[in-house]
Amino acid sequence: MKNPAGGVSLPRMQRWMQEVVVHPGDIAEAVASPSARKALGRAAIEDVILPSRTLEPADRVGIYQGMYLMRMEEALESDYPGLKHLLGGHAWSALVRDYVAAHPSVTYTLNRLGDHFSDFVAKWPGAKRPELCHDLARLELAMAEVFDAPQTEPLSDAEIAAVPPESWERARLAPIEAFRLLSFHYPVNAYLQSVRDEDHNHPDLKRKDTYIAIYRRDYSVWRHDLSQAAFDLLTDLVAGKPLGKAVAAALARGGKRAPTTDQLFRWFREWAAGGVFKSVRLR
Amino acid sequence: MGNRFQFPDLGVGVGLRTVHFGHILEKWPKVDWFEVISENFMDTEGRPLWVLDRVAERYPVVLHGVSMSIGSTDPLDRAYLKKLKALGKRVRAHWISDHLCWTGVAGRNVHDLLPMPYTEEALRHTAARVRQVSEILERPLVLENPSSYVEFKDSTMTEWDFLTRLAEESDCGLLLDVNNVYVSSFNHSFDPKEYVDGIPADRVVQYHLAGHTNKGTHIVDTHSDHAIQEVWDLYGRSCRRTGNVATLYEWDENIPEFEVMHAEALKAGAFREQAVLAAAR
Repeated sequence: MKNPAGGVSLPRMQRWMQEVVVHPGDIAEAVASPSARKALGRAAIEDVILPSRTLEPADRVGIYQGMYLMRMEEALESDYPGLKHLLGGHAWSALVRDYVAAHPSVTYTLNRLGDHFSDFVAKWPGAKRPELCHDLARLELAMAEVFDAPQTEPLSDAEIAAVPPESWERARLAPIEAFRLLSFHYPVNAYLQSVRDEDHNHPDLKRKDTYIAIYRRDYSVWRHDLSQAAFDLLTDLVAGKPLGKAVAAALARGGKRAPTTDQLFRWFREWAAGGVFKSVRLR
Repeated sequence: MGNRFQFPDLGVGVGLRTVHFGHILEKWPKVDWFEVISENFMDTEGRPLWVLDRVAERYPVVLHGVSMSIGSTDPLDRAYLKKLKALGKRVRAHWISDHLCWTGVAGRNVHDLLPMPYTEEALRHTAARVRQVSEILERPLVLENPSSYVEFKDSTMTEWDFLTRLAEESDCGLLLDVNNVYVSSFNHSFDPKEYVDGIPADRVVQYHLAGHTNKGTHIVDTHSDHAIQEVWDLYGRSCRRTGNVATLYEWDENIPEFEVMHAEALKAGAFREQAVLAAAR
């Protein structure tokens, strides 16, 4: 396909240049790649790009190609600083290169670039501890989602006070949009905090079940460590179980996981004060 | 002398950047106006949008995008344009700009401002899309000249001729980035003065100024430093033709304290006043 003036058509030129820019190899490999050659047909790079007084055509396109992966790394690093720290710079670059080859950006926003990142790293051959990487990436993805989530007003003190005491048993609580509840097999929240604090005495990353609520309050993202009992109760509540039934289930779990009455009151105070719930429904 | 769109001269502004949110909210600095990167605020209801709403209550705001991909041969992204239009309305944006470039094809986005060949085919294609976008946004689109690192063998006209014809055929405004002119003039060995002299003055509604990184063999548009004297001179030269036009200093890498960035922007005030006085003599 040629343009009406006889050169390479605009669609073909753009397809070719994109194939070169996103190629993960060096510029010579990118230009020689089957996808780039297919896009350009029988034309050579010299038929498309002029040399400058200092650079050959391939070097000039190579400027864009080099910046592509840098930009992808920067975008993902802004949401996954903990994972980058855990992997180290070399492995991180390799992970990003492999990830964007498998899941290139398909929207105008880089906010969605990491949507598949946690699942990808769980299966990535370069990860020495894939389950740990998966946990950490899930935590960082949830934080990014909470940061940008729709704004919903939390229950006010007056709305909470308006619920008759005898009605709380059948009350169903709904969380705000900017809320996530997660469980992990590793203490990734403590690890991430040490990275953010630039504290090089990272916590021991031995396997240990941990639980966390992440929510936005006053436009800041908060991470709240939970006991398993609190996590189970909150899980039931956000799933829509009436408060009475959720509490009964918590008490019935027995053993170390059963909360005391004092704990239940404290949790509710913390969650309500944190603005975790947006509505209470009594039917 | 004003521009043909009657867009106001907003004075000298700076980019609204996350690292300066705290300073701005605390000090409410004396700044003429802010330019915001549209895409940073289109898909969030978190702190960035909250800050932007506060800023828009106190300062004039202009939206500047990087993802419209006006030159792409993919279809226009109407969902994106709908959000952009809504954001412009929300912050009462004085105008909405993007770049003469493409950012991806075949459904992909490489998130770079990729250059266009300056051909009749590209001109017809881009002009038609600019007209469509202006209709959708219900306001004239403003397009910025990009910095570039390649030249296409098929190009049949200079970049400034392409921009001039594009602006006239699609009736769009121009955001003249004089640093980009300088960067591209170094990379492609043309005279930057000829470029700024060739742009239709009455279509220039905004200027961009920035620093860059000279790699020896080429210059990269990094927005990481103070502007060099040649860029300031080019700006003054262009102001003599356009009169006072809203001017913004961009700083996106190694971003300094707000006052440092603002001081660099304020240099533009002196340059443009001198230039306009010189032109009046």
